[in-house]
Amino acid sequence: MDIILNTGSTAFQGAVIKGGRKFTDDYTQEAAYCDISPEDFEELGKPWFVKVTNSYGDSVILRAKKTDRQQRGEIFIPRGPWANIVVTPVTESTGSPRYKNLVVQIEKGSSPVLGPQELMKKYYTKRARPKWEANRKWTA
Amino acid sequence: MSSEAQESEISNKITCTDVTCPVCGIACDDIEVELDDVSVVTRNACIMGDAKFKELRSSHRITKPLINGKEAPWSEAVDKAAEFLVNAKRPFFFVGSETTSEAMAIAIEIAEMLGGLVDGNATICHGPTVMAMQDVGQAGCTLGETRNRADLDIYWGANPEDSHPRHLSRHSIFVRGFFTEQGRYGRKVIVVDPRRSTTAEHADLHLQLKPGTDFEVLSAIMTILNGFEPHESFTDVTGISREDIHKAAEMVKDARFGVIWVGLGIASTRGKHYNASMAMRLTQLGNKTGKFVILANRGHCNVTGFNQVLNWSHGFPYAVDFSTGAPRYQPGEYSCVDALRRGEVDALFCMCADLGAHLPKIAVERMCEIPVVSIETAEGPQAFISDVVLPGVLDAMECTGTFYRMDNVPIYARSFCDPPFDFTKSNEDTCTQLRDAIIQKLEAREKAKEEEAQAKPQTTPLSDEEFGQRLDKLVSRAG
Repeated sequence: MDIILNTGSTAFQGAVIKGGRKFTDDYTQEAAYCDISPEDFEELGKPWFVKVTNSYGDSVILRAKKTDRQQRGEIFIPRGPWANIVVTPVTESTGSPRYKNLVVQIEKGSSPVLGPQELMKKYYTKRARPKWEANRKWTA
Repeated sequence: MSSEAQESEISNKITCTDVTCPVCGIACDDIEVELDDVSVVTRNACIMGDAKFKELRSSHRITKPLINGKEAPWSEAVDKAAEFLVNAKRPFFFVGSETTSEAMAIAIEIAEMLGGLVDGNATICHGPTVMAMQDVGQAGCTLGETRNRADLDIYWGANPEDSHPRHLSRHSIFVRGFFTEQGRYGRKVIVVDPRRSTTAEHADLHLQLKPGTDFEVLSAIMTILNGFEPHESFTDVTGISREDIHKAAEMVKDARFGVIWVGLGIASTRGKHYNASMAMRLTQLGNKTGKFVILANRGHCNVTGFNQVLNWSHGFPYAVDFSTGAPRYQPGEYSCVDALRRGEVDALFCMCADLGAHLPKIAVERMCEIPVVSIETAEGPQAFISDVVLPGVLDAMECTGTFYRMDNVPIYARSFCDPPFDFTKSNEDTCTQLRDAIIQKLEAREKAKEEEAQAKPQTTPLSDEEFGQRLDKLVSRAG
């Protein structure tokens, strides 16, 4: 179903990135989830995971979190590489992409959430140059 | 601000007071750090600040230069970085915020020297708010004034509980100031946010608007302040009741000193700089009944510093192109996301920012196709997609420098320890070394061109007599 995506920072996600733990499971824990209102959560069939897709056809799997902080028809994903898979680059001549108030599609997801390294490899290796093969322990 | 360091001979333990925190735009300057050979203990720092200070003794710190992910000598890495940038036709310089203004100035100088594009964290942060400042003008003040005088705090699209954890206790809601000795009881708080954020829980009035209707809600408050009634469709459009919007307008009218703290909720949503412009016009209107100011909750460390440095050096706040030799400013054209999306950038220099994690997918895909040089402190998406990684220095801890606070007040942060390597003393030093390497390459290139021109056989024009002789030969052959 169509839903409005807002992304933003959280203190815990901030602590992970400022603490340089961007390639650890902590990052997945704090940035790879999707806050959903109780009504939408019920409508989606109480999912464990959700798949969020943008108008370009890019999609990402996230953990579903039911919260009454969200209004119906809106979801929230913390700032990070997961959210930015679906954030569109249209800046309306300001330089700032549409990090908030973006219409996306949400549905029940089935596969597990990727960690930060797996996510980078899955989404950003296809078009990359041979440097990826030479990359050190992170690609191992 | 006074700093004192006491050294114990036994455990190399240092205790430092009044340390400036290089994490968010507040730049708290009351942090205490206890540092020894293996651990870091902080006092007064928030969860993010504490994590950053712990980086001084972390296991994942990048301490050696990397070329294609493999460790390399420093001189080789700098040379390779210079080579990538010199050979590019349209290099892009992304000057991140987790560094000092001095380092930024050098990076901007390199961009100008190579005729590249330059942009900073403002572009993905409060860039639209900066555009609104140019459009309408900002009635601002320092954080000290908000602390001592403000009796109305309006958080518009901002959630400082998460983005600036010490904001409420140091500069706004809870702090007891000179004229606000009652603290929270002497202040009114309005939060405008589609989410019921943790900041909204402290609010006297939470306007839970529909996303993308900030402009309409701001207009409605101004309409009421001007003595009119908002359009009948107001509640359907914005999701806010008439009662609540009237209440908000009354609170604005009753305020003696009101502050509008704008967050990314207005800069990143539909309308962008128009929303921020409207918030600044509301500030102007609020000044008719009391004192009103507007401040942007700048999130990334020294992001304000980038705007300041580029402004004083070249007259524009961000998104500048030097390809014609003179600075040209055009957000949406020379800004980072747009230039990468169009695919015109053929090399990227990224200083102290994690673009790999924070740019939209299409922009990151472009970064994977071109040479990327980064100054990074820890492994992560940016280091992962970089061809050359130069180890970053933790500014305000391992080197001194100037940081601009979110209210545009410069703060000189002092260091209390040294970097874990000796090839560079600061990010400014790294940029200077890179600049020198680039100058050498440019000079070598010029010299090679001159030599090539000299090596070519000189052709001198024929005299009339020679020309006649040759012509006669040709005619006789043909005959």
